[in-house]
Amino acid sequence: MNALSETWSWLTTADHWTGGAGVFARLVQHLQLSAEALLLAGVVAIPLALILGHVGRGSWLVVSLANASRAVPVLAVLVLLVLRMGIGDRPVVYALAIFAFPPMVTNTYAGVRGVDPEVRDAARGLGLSGNQMLRRVELPLALPLIAAGVRTAAVQVVATATIAAIVGSGGLGRFIVDGFQTNDYGQLVSGVLVVALLALAIELTLGAAERRLDPLQR
Amino acid sequence: MSRLHRSRLHRVIPIVTVALLAAACGGSSSGKSAVSGSGATPDNHLVVLQDDKHLQNSDNVVAVVRIKVAKQPLIDALNKVDTTITQSDLVAMNKRAANHDDPATIAGDYASQKNLTAGVGGGSGKVVVGAANFSESEVLANLYVAVLKKAGYSASVKNVQSREVYEPALEHGQLDVMPEYAATLTEFLNTRINGSKAAPLASPDITKTLAALKTLAAKRGLEPLEPSTATDENAFAVRKDFAAANHLTTLSDLANYHGKLVLGGPPECPTRPYCELGLEKTYGIHFTGFKALDVGGPITIAAIRNGNVQIGLVFSSDPSLAGG
Repeated sequence: MNALSETWSWLTTADHWTGGAGVFARLVQHLQLSAEALLLAGVVAIPLALILGHVGRGSWLVVSLANASRAVPVLAVLVLLVLRMGIGDRPVVYALAIFAFPPMVTNTYAGVRGVDPEVRDAARGLGLSGNQMLRRVELPLALPLIAAGVRTAAVQVVATATIAAIVGSGGLGRFIVDGFQTNDYGQLVSGVLVVALLALAIELTLGAAERRLDPLQR
Repeated sequence: MSRLHRSRLHRVIPIVTVALLAAACGGSSSGKSAVSGSGATPDNHLVVLQDDKHLQNSDNVVAVVRIKVAKQPLIDALNKVDTTITQSDLVAMNKRAANHDDPATIAGDYASQKNLTAGVGGGSGKVVVGAANFSESEVLANLYVAVLKKAGYSASVKNVQSREVYEPALEHGQLDVMPEYAATLTEFLNTRINGSKAAPLASPDITKTLAALKTLAAKRGLEPLEPSTATDENAFAVRKDFAAANHLTTLSDLANYHGKLVLGGPPECPTRPYCELGLEKTYGIHFTGFKALDVGGPITIAAIRNGNVQIGLVFSSDPSLAGG
């Protein structure tokens, strides 16, 4: 049996899909970890970048933060966090949040900065305060880029959340890690396939949502 | 943008940045685990539960030498090392190595502390001792070299990589001595000589294992010397306070424990006789759960220490067992 036929045989075994250790259960765990990480990153990254973008100062901070967090090897951070706080979902969510941070920050900042200066002028002319300008003009116009940042982060996080399995957590990475350790290539490749398909599905779904969010329907 | 509105936000930014940094630093406070609160300071040192029913194969440290160089002074010198080092000695030396102490220094200190170089002599000529690519092997190799030097040999350590590489080197004379592990080497030679489907010859009985090893090694012009009581084999460790609270010293004791017992081990552990399967069948232990972690590595150690699992697979000479 080669890896391909082992994979087919694994995927077509109903037992592998149902139950607490089945594909559906792991899928839910996987999405949960990813969602928590994205939420944590978003809650920090987006407001920060919005404020910095609106003010127009501190691009050095954005660039530094984004580059620094981009350079962080997520697996290494995860292991370090586990050594500190033990295993569980928390270190996974923290590590993935750091990983999700750069695209959200960069895109949000660029989105706000990219608002046409003439539009800003017009808003000022209408008597909008800074706060109102941010909320009613800059944010809506920046939304496509912000959404793109969230989408990029989401796809990256979903693809990388497989590392949770290395530190004993659940998610689709379980099939990859367990398959590897037990030389069960059917399981391993199946895991890889499901993760890849999931990442693709997230990309397409969020891409569609992104297009709907564009206030100018470009 | 009006200067008035700009300045308001200007004040916000540094505050936000500082708040975020403070939250980041404060948030990563030590993961205190909730041990059954007896009020005493939680002792998260690890202690191994004795394998009293001998589930694990005997991976005792043993020196393997080329028969051609196995003269009495060499044999005596190497046996002196292996019969002196105890399990806790090995753990202590590994702990020093984990703190980035140089293996040669660790070996030198131990040799003087235990007066290892007393009463050896009568050797001459060159001896090359191999060291595999992990610190324990380097420490052992340096110990051998320290004593061999005193015995009159011109001994040196040669760093090699894996067994696939250094075992042939040993056979061909590029290495003369290698610190090895009885059961693992037995099975390595067994599959090489008798084929990959050969019945296992290593066992939890060191005497039987050594006898099998002698036969196999002789076919390759090699000879195992006297094995140490120090081992580097699979072991199951718990937190010291967990052992104390439940009066556990051996794995058999654990069979009487019916509380929450999550096992941490490599992903294949639930199906392995040396792991969960064997613990359940041979010892009658009742696990309430299993967590797939690494193979006796830092993640398993962290999980035991932090109380995420109550017992985990570690290696019997792991530095974290020091002081436990």
